[in-house]
Amino acid sequence: MRVLPLLPLLLSGWFAVPAHADEAQDWLKRLGQAEQQHSYQGTFVYERNGSFSTHSIWHRVQDGKVRERLMQLDGSAQEVIRTDGRTECVTGKLASGLGDVTAVSARQFDAQKLNDWYSVTKQGDSRVAGRPVVVISLAPRDQHRYGFELYLDRETGLPLKSLLLNDKGQLLERYQFTSLVTTPPDENQLTPAGTCRPVTVADTAAPVADTAHAWHSDWLPPGFEQVSSTVHRDPRTKSEVTSLLYDDGLTRFSVFLEPLQGAAVPDARVQLGPTAAVTRHLSTPQGDMMATVVGEIPLGTAERIALSMRVGKDDAQAKP
Amino acid sequence: MSREALQESLSAVMDNEADELELRRVLNAFDDTHTRDTWSRYQVARAVMHKDLLIPRLDIASAVSAALAEEQTPVKVVRGPWRSIGRLAVAASVTVAVLAGVRMYNQDDIVGNQLAQQNAAQSLSAPMAKGPAVLANYSESSDKATGPMANGVLQGQPGWQDQRLPGYLRQHAQQAALKGAESPLPYARAASLENR
Repeated sequence: MRVLPLLPLLLSGWFAVPAHADEAQDWLKRLGQAEQQHSYQGTFVYERNGSFSTHSIWHRVQDGKVRERLMQLDGSAQEVIRTDGRTECVTGKLASGLGDVTAVSARQFDAQKLNDWYSVTKQGDSRVAGRPVVVISLAPRDQHRYGFELYLDRETGLPLKSLLLNDKGQLLERYQFTSLVTTPPDENQLTPAGTCRPVTVADTAAPVADTAHAWHSDWLPPGFEQVSSTVHRDPRTKSEVTSLLYDDGLTRFSVFLEPLQGAAVPDARVQLGPTAAVTRHLSTPQGDMMATVVGEIPLGTAERIALSMRVGKDDAQAKP
Repeated sequence: MSREALQESLSAVMDNEADELELRRVLNAFDDTHTRDTWSRYQVARAVMHKDLLIPRLDIASAVSAALAEEQTPVKVVRGPWRSIGRLAVAASVTVAVLAGVRMYNQDDIVGNQLAQQNAAQSLSAPMAKGPAVLANYSESSDKATGPMANGVLQGQPGWQDQRLPGYLRQHAQQAALKGAESPLPYARAASLENR
């Protein structure tokens, strides 16, 4: 029997792989809870093609309430104060492009569900910001999203480093802590330094009831679901823009639909670091529209989504 | 996929000017014999311009495909390690041969450029396709204030896109950041769009 010597090899492979995956899965679960369980403060850098910035973060968990302050350390001082994942106020130019923000909560971080779209494996151990970390790789199972490499703090499970990689393994963006301590920040550190403009949250923003503005997509990359849809009038161009946000639990993309009103516009593709933007011309019963897809997804996927946008509500996606 | 667009892409690939999508398009279409014929005709034309030696029937691609098809499955490795090493050597030498061939082609860049100029009508779309590359670098050079992408972004496509895309990019980043997430990463993304 020539197969016999192979059996131990096959069997060990059979057992080793799930064990490995399970461990990675446990780490993902810890990641999902880390922000709700641990106070910390530190600094991190963000880098993408053509941009490098440094930020400070103060994060406090007290009586089940999470309060967080983020501040950019270079260039203009941009600050964000968040309570329980909701943005309270911002300084600087952040949120300048937004009208009302609909209070649709983000999808809960679901480690189990991510497994359907990413193959999650533990790659080994390393060090980030002077702390031991576990390296978890999330490789996409299809070509419609990018892969992540996450470096999770051994003590807390916090992501201390996150790399976004395209299908060739090229680095698209880097998010990495340079220092982190787990002492809770005090009240002073959580108070904004500049004038902090409150963010208006339109709780009642009815999810687009008007069918004239309802849109759906004939094709979406598997796993992506619509998490919000808004209509707002651009103050500068005076046109009504429908915007839809989609999410697969880790990756997000937006679709913007705007009537052309007779303008002749060429299609365009743009790649900005990790973010792709594609505009496509659509002919609809209401006239010519421009569909723009923006997100951290491959250009080809964004293009396909832009071409799949259709007017009218899709029964499968209609929200109650 | 229109024939012309494919030929433009082919030509771009030959001039080493294709972007990622074009390269994929060509690779997808490459099983089609028609495409392969066009490709080899381009090669002949190029070789003539270069006054190069050419073996018209030399089809490295199918040779490589054949070699790949013969590649053993991992389980067989146990049986004959020497055989697989031999095959590896074959694959490696094919790779070396291909690389050497590519190098020889590239030595004559000037003539290649002339060819490209004569094909100007075909490769007219190249500047359009190059648009993304221009944008991808813009934020380093631009300073601030004048509206996010005013400085030479999307050159050759003024108007609508210039006005809309920066706003859309920003809106997407901020929506994602404000929706709250498992890490401050979306916030950092949004902030990086404002650093100009």
